[in-house]
Amino acid sequence: MTYQNAQPHGIKPFKPLPRLFGRGALALVIGAYTVYTLGPFLWLATMSVRNTGEISADHYAWPSPFRWEQFRVAWVDSAFDTYFWNSAIVVVTAVAVVTLVGAAAAHALARYRFRGNRIIYGILFSSIIFPPQITLISLYQILVDYNLYNSLTGLTLVYISLQLPLTVYLLEGFFARIPQDLFDAAKMDGYGDIEIFRRIVLPIGMPAIATTLILNFIQLWNEFLFAVVLISDPEKRTLPIGIRAFMGDHFQDIGMIAAGVMISVIPVIIAYAFFSEKLIRGMTAGAVK
Amino acid sequence: MSDMAKHAGTDVEAPARASRAPRTRRFSDPRRASFPVLLVFLVPALAIYFGLTAYPAFRTIYDSFFTIEGMERIPVGFANYVALWQDETFWVAVRNTFIWAFVAPILDVATGLLLALALYAGVPFARFLRIAWFTPVLLSYVVVAILWMWIYNYDWGVVNELLRAMGLGDLARSWLGDPNTALAAVIVTHAWKWAGFNMVVCLAAIHSLPREVLEASELDNCGWGAKLRYMIVPMLKPTLLNLYVLAFIGKMKVFDLVWIMTGGGPLWATETVSTYVYKRAFNWNTFDLGYPSAIAAVWFGVVCAAVILLNKIFKSKDRLEY
Repeated sequence: MTYQNAQPHGIKPFKPLPRLFGRGALALVIGAYTVYTLGPFLWLATMSVRNTGEISADHYAWPSPFRWEQFRVAWVDSAFDTYFWNSAIVVVTAVAVVTLVGAAAAHALARYRFRGNRIIYGILFSSIIFPPQITLISLYQILVDYNLYNSLTGLTLVYISLQLPLTVYLLEGFFARIPQDLFDAAKMDGYGDIEIFRRIVLPIGMPAIATTLILNFIQLWNEFLFAVVLISDPEKRTLPIGIRAFMGDHFQDIGMIAAGVMISVIPVIIAYAFFSEKLIRGMTAGAVK
Repeated sequence: MSDMAKHAGTDVEAPARASRAPRTRRFSDPRRASFPVLLVFLVPALAIYFGLTAYPAFRTIYDSFFTIEGMERIPVGFANYVALWQDETFWVAVRNTFIWAFVAPILDVATGLLLALALYAGVPFARFLRIAWFTPVLLSYVVVAILWMWIYNYDWGVVNELLRAMGLGDLARSWLGDPNTALAAVIVTHAWKWAGFNMVVCLAAIHSLPREVLEASELDNCGWGAKLRYMIVPMLKPTLLNLYVLAFIGKMKVFDLVWIMTGGGPLWATETVSTYVYKRAFNWNTFDLGYPSAIAAVWFGVVCAAVILLNKIFKSKDRLEY
């Protein structure tokens, strides 16, 4: 460790860099990793505006001309509009319901003292670790029994149940930190319990609620396993299974697959461009303490 | 994970309640709610939980003692479990999943930590890089799988093109089609998606470390290698272990990526328990839902036991106080 003595004091504004590499090597590694993460995505983007003939000629050429009509074709002719709207309806409904139901339960668990509080919390929370197969096969049978198999309503219900534990867990943690004084004051002013939830907890907890909204939205937008098991009708496919089915039918049509994939990614990327910090916080909410 | 339950709040504020005794009946203890109010808040969540999580879970375990073909249910006792014990494919799937769940998180967490350190060391554009490196976390497994199937493509995939360009064309192969490399190829893809997640969490943890300690080490002329080994890693240990457990849980459940990239093939080289359950329940025309229920029930027990065990092991080590 001879580099220990070579600690110049001139670069104090920067924290010291690993001496074993030096600045140039570090920059190289960082540059390489950036290409590694963003490269595949940019490659996909270029392919989405080229047709399959052009792609086969050279997979890595810059698009010329930019064939934006690829998106129109994918949207209209390859039924990606159906998949997109199915996804949107299911995910938005499920996220709205799970947030409201989860927030109500989280509030009761965080605020009130009653027998069995921690038991209920533990029961709801523990199902976070359940492997999905333990409910998958039975949910399939149950939805068939109740005529909800192959319906967007059934899928929405299942999605609500999938995200409920995480929602309750995250919101309970946040709500518990709201100062009790606020609630005491509200009681003095004659607020009822429901009013307290509606007029104090929801507004004050909004940043936390936004975080869980984002997390739930991304996770459900990307959900594949339950959708593929519970939906069989092509008209009712969500985006992930729609893309997968399209790929199965048109394995060679790389340009069109790329355009379809881009359609599913664009909403997420637009949201990310505007709310990158919020999205990062939302996605890591369970792990950062 | 269970330590997260600590900051639950209700216990912390107990003294506050005691000192604030209700003066009249009307302004009753704000920490208490009448039973109907609790029902209003809790019943929707509990109904969803019991209807769509607890009941299906119990039903799966119950079903594992039957052979179920369509409407027909034949009780078979433990026959499914006996068959499972002798099912070679199941054991291959278990082996693959265990390799993935125990080994791959180390790769994820180490990459995340190193990336976080690189950003912490004060490289330019750190803000942009953090956002860029996080992008794959937001992509769905379907998107990631398709992208990487192209990257691994034999004729024109990036990996083989690079190898050929470097004159190592002999090494070019069908990465997902070769049983020797398929599992590793899928694991690398999974790590590509999740490294950014670990990076962000590590970076947040590094930033919350006490500055005095790190500055003191600088005064002591402590090199980065030593600093990493003796200070940063020990101080971040709770975070790193927590990330390991999270990654472990994720990998015990892994399905989407494998299913789309390889379908568990070639020759069961990437078969995981999740893909095997799916195949037996919905893909092979065996039409029996009892046997896959047995696999799911066994795996449910294994995952729960493994998580509890990991938490126990990691808990028993003393946390570094600072």
